[in-house]
Amino acid sequence: MVIRVGVDVGGTFTDIVVFNEKTGVLASLKVLTTPRRPVEAIMRGLDELVKNYGEVRTVIHATTLGTNLFFGQAGIEPPEVVLLTNRGLEDVIEIGRQNRPELYNLFFDRPRPLVPRDKRYGVKGRLDPSGKELEPIDPREIKSIVEKYCKHSRREKPIVFAVSLLHSYRNPVHEIKIKQIIRDTCPGSITVLSSEADPQPMEYERTSTTIVNAVLKPVLSKYLEELLGELQRREFHGQLLVMQSSGGVASVEEAVEKPAAFIESGPSAGAVAVAYFSRLQGISKALGFDMGGTTAKASSIIGGEPEVTTLYEVGGKMHMGRLVRGSGYPVRYPYIDLAEVSAGGGTIAWIDAGGALRVGPVSAGADPGPACYARGGREATITDANLVLGRLPEKLAGGRVPIRRDLAEEAIKKLSDQLGLDVVETAWAIIKLANTVMAKALRLVSIEKGHDPREFSLYAFGGAGPLHAVELGEELGVKETIVPPEPGVFSALGLLFTDYKHYLHAPVVKRADKVADRELEEIFEELEEKAHRILESEGVRVNKRILRRFIEAKYWGQGYTLRVPYMDSVEATTKAFHELHRARYGFSSPEEPVEYVIAAVEAIGATEKPVLHVEKIKLRGRIVGEREVFFEKGWEKTTIYQGYPQIGEELVGPVVVELPDSTVLVPPGYVLSIDKFGSLHIVGRGG
Amino acid sequence: MVDKITVEVIKNAAIYASEEMGIVLRNTAYSPNIKDRLDHSCAVLTPDGRLVAQAEHIPVHIGSMSVGAFNTLRYLEEEGEVLREGDVVVVNDPYIAGTHLNDITMIKPVYVDGDIVALVANKAHHVDVGGSVPGSLGGDVRELIQEGIVIPPTKIMEKNELKKDVVRLLESNVRTPHYLRGDLKAQIAALNVGEKRILELARKYGVKTLLEAWEDIIDYTSRYTTSILEELGVEGSYIFEDYMEWEEELINIKLKLDIKKNNIIADYTGTHRQVDAPINAVYGVTVAATTYALKSVLDPEMPINYGFLEVVDIRVPLGTLLNPKKPAPVSGGNVETSQRIADVVLGALAKALPDRVPAAAAGTMNNIAIGGRGWAFYETIGGGMGGRPGKDGVDAIHVHMTNTLNTPIEVLETEYPIRFLEYSIRPASGGPGKYRGGNGMRRIFKVLEDGVTLTVTGERKKTRPWGLRGGKPGTPARYAVIKNDGRVIELPSKARILLEVGDTVVIETPGGGGYGDPCERPRELVEKDLREGRITLEQAVREYCYNP
Repeated sequence: MVIRVGVDVGGTFTDIVVFNEKTGVLASLKVLTTPRRPVEAIMRGLDELVKNYGEVRTVIHATTLGTNLFFGQAGIEPPEVVLLTNRGLEDVIEIGRQNRPELYNLFFDRPRPLVPRDKRYGVKGRLDPSGKELEPIDPREIKSIVEKYCKHSRREKPIVFAVSLLHSYRNPVHEIKIKQIIRDTCPGSITVLSSEADPQPMEYERTSTTIVNAVLKPVLSKYLEELLGELQRREFHGQLLVMQSSGGVASVEEAVEKPAAFIESGPSAGAVAVAYFSRLQGISKALGFDMGGTTAKASSIIGGEPEVTTLYEVGGKMHMGRLVRGSGYPVRYPYIDLAEVSAGGGTIAWIDAGGALRVGPVSAGADPGPACYARGGREATITDANLVLGRLPEKLAGGRVPIRRDLAEEAIKKLSDQLGLDVVETAWAIIKLANTVMAKALRLVSIEKGHDPREFSLYAFGGAGPLHAVELGEELGVKETIVPPEPGVFSALGLLFTDYKHYLHAPVVKRADKVADRELEEIFEELEEKAHRILESEGVRVNKRILRRFIEAKYWGQGYTLRVPYMDSVEATTKAFHELHRARYGFSSPEEPVEYVIAAVEAIGATEKPVLHVEKIKLRGRIVGEREVFFEKGWEKTTIYQGYPQIGEELVGPVVVELPDSTVLVPPGYVLSIDKFGSLHIVGRGG
Repeated sequence: MVDKITVEVIKNAAIYASEEMGIVLRNTAYSPNIKDRLDHSCAVLTPDGRLVAQAEHIPVHIGSMSVGAFNTLRYLEEEGEVLREGDVVVVNDPYIAGTHLNDITMIKPVYVDGDIVALVANKAHHVDVGGSVPGSLGGDVRELIQEGIVIPPTKIMEKNELKKDVVRLLESNVRTPHYLRGDLKAQIAALNVGEKRILELARKYGVKTLLEAWEDIIDYTSRYTTSILEELGVEGSYIFEDYMEWEEELINIKLKLDIKKNNIIADYTGTHRQVDAPINAVYGVTVAATTYALKSVLDPEMPINYGFLEVVDIRVPLGTLLNPKKPAPVSGGNVETSQRIADVVLGALAKALPDRVPAAAAGTMNNIAIGGRGWAFYETIGGGMGGRPGKDGVDAIHVHMTNTLNTPIEVLETEYPIRFLEYSIRPASGGPGKYRGGNGMRRIFKVLEDGVTLTVTGERKKTRPWGLRGGKPGTPARYAVIKNDGRVIELPSKARILLEVGDTVVIETPGGGGYGDPCERPRELVEKDLREGRITLEQAVREYCYNP
């Protein structure tokens, strides 16, 4: 078994990467996603690249379909979920944090509550904040609710009970009792407890995480079952692994336990790939820049590790590159931190009421797509502007998709007439504006954490990333721009570089000076035992396991926690917290009390990574001609180069490098070269 | 003339510089108020104080920076002070800075080779600025000085050196000096980032281009606003009046909104004279609330800077509730009066643009402060949104001038001696309508120790959030205490009461008004509301012509 497969199911395309360990050959393919039944596109693509499924060792799967799965758009009907919570708190899940997602839009909608009001039950049973019982649960009350719904529970569509009680992170006893009652009363049903899904304080976020898991559990099971079934029908005997949004993989069995951790994993794979390459190349600060058809995403990778956040909302909206709180369904699992802006190849340029040119947020998507695709699109997009400026060849995707410059010009002319500019000036204005917006996202992921973009190397990928990266990098002042191998399917490639990863945690919720080392030691040991059990079940050998201990802490009264490595004692860890706080936010307050909120263990199971060698890249490049390309200073006669250069070869800008799935633009004053890992490096001449 | 593309790029850069200042401020701030509640805003202004770009996270700050910067510059000039390179000015006098004392404003000039090219500024709500009660938002004060320390425009930095004596003076006048110090430093850190971004722009494009670009950006906003007005074609005079509650009186706010082809005049003549209570709103708040309402209805995407104020003329006679004379207290102007100003502007706009304006929302932030020995807690509670043309109002949410988060019950119960009995949607409180008004909220908790003081600053207890086009008004607020012996004490909208162990506080916030004739509401929606317990059967029969 020598073949490894990465599958990334996106909204428009499903990307597939197949790596043969024996020959070292990497093959990739893009197929159109089949949203009603995603497995169809996956299998169609796989069948084209994989001849013998018996040779496949692992298939690693990632998707951005999470939200679609959620609303039953992927052909799987979401289950009926019933919520059991404390009496009087049935509406917590609807009120949320009482804020609205848009400040000035009087016609905003709050995300539809995932459990309708008449299926939320307030039951007896109350704990105080220390976990002491104030009122017992009433088994008869619970039984009668469960019986009412059990009648509709079917094998193919089981009823799901979500249970979330106040202070259950402190003492899960009531939730556990309720689970037993449900199991006894309604054997075929599914129960998700908040004390298992997300054992930490703040009832809204915990309940939301619980419910998202509850909705997705049967959906994800069914989806993965179907995929596995198709693979097995083709004599696949290897392991199907699922990518998590935190950047690690897990077995199917683990995935369906915490499905909310798996639903928006596609973009994370890109950051994981950048992390892997930055480690190989010895780059300590990297920015990932992934520009596709509708959005551009930015991530920061410090010391080979992608930055992670736990402020995530499924289906949430973005504003100025950042998630708008209250626009989606909070899930408190670690997610790779991505800033996202509406700027992709298909993003539409338009003129606003003040007569100013604007780019986005509306996208022409893949259908009808940019005007130049000649599929009925009439509006000017970023791709059209690139084409008019000579930056794109007149055939895309390795020559398979012909594009029409005249249609691009026609679309842009509609804007230029209103602006009083000519077509080329307008196209240039579109590119400059798009770059300003994207630079914003990149700056966000660096400065928000207290870093300076000038210390970073910029990794550009996605179909359109390498076309914009160098000019963007100039605006940010980054050290260099790197185009990694297979930029068009780089995220899928990232799947081959992921490790098993699990984040287990338990509440502490105490002032640091009231926590004993011994107490933490016990919590950590228990978590580690659990972590070993999970890795064991996934077949990770003991010498491949790395377990790391963390404390999530904050100053008393502060809203955000910082994750600090546990330094084997409370004293040393608290000191490390002050230092980290200073590094990140510019100050610390050693005189203030520190609160330990959570003790956590990150469990990593290292996987074998494929080794990519530049000699395996078949496409030896050559100069194929020249054409006029528009840059900051005007039109320049520009060399057109097709394929990859050889090690030691330097391409001096202005040059356009056409790769099978992407185009790299090297402006005047820049030089491009390749390293032994197949990455293109673009640096300013003399810089 | 600067070319259009460059102006566009500089405009985006200025907006982003404001956003970036906001990020730095939020990340480095100490108090939860700024970190979690995002009660702050940052701006780039022209050297003479006209707003170019502002990033605000809470609508009550929108546009107010322009008023504050103008007044500050005028004050410095009158005092013979010159703003030099490396200076930072701090100010919170509401009659200058334009909101309330808790909002401390800082302004820094940006110099290039001896010429001033811009001002960068920010404003942040400090958790305590002294005064008669913790948090500085006392409900029963009669003059400004009781609301905290008043800081006239004062240099807190010179030659980029912090003036420690000024900081110490401020620290000595507040209850939480370490928060104040940390947050002031965060504000300065944010200004420095803004300054850096402006300097980068000046280096890249030159001072002359930058100064010209500011003018173009302001012109652009005027043009944008004018073109929206032209498109609307609703020239005319629209009058609306609504009320605030103080003791036994109703205090009126009256507006005549003149929408013309190329401009708008919002004239508040006829509004009640100022009162000796903290519900006066300084002119800056009146500007912010008026701006908020106009932007929301005319175009939520509308850019706001000085160019907007060139088109929209906001006139308020001096000495009235909406433009008081010093030393009237003003702390509640931000939180309560601003909501009513928004209601009044929306009410006038509803006459011009009935298809764009919702019925009245809860119209209050329901400010609740409680505290005992060694602890204090303050929160605002959302209510119902008004029914909208084509859509129901949203239940239980913060509407209009605020958008701050609630504090989780698990956090409250862990940190304070209170226990929650209920946090829910208040059924049947939304005004009936074809498009139902949003229901308010219910928050009920029990006090677990003696000697606890509860302060309520609310509204819409006597008046009700109005409906539109046949929609009925929402249910008014209810603030009450159920004593440990079962007695019920109903509280007025502004109240202070001492509680004992076992007493229960009941807060029921107003529902929004309904929109359209409730009898036209489709039967299946009435039944859905019944099934989900959002209305009662009795209400369905009586108000919605429902026949079970």
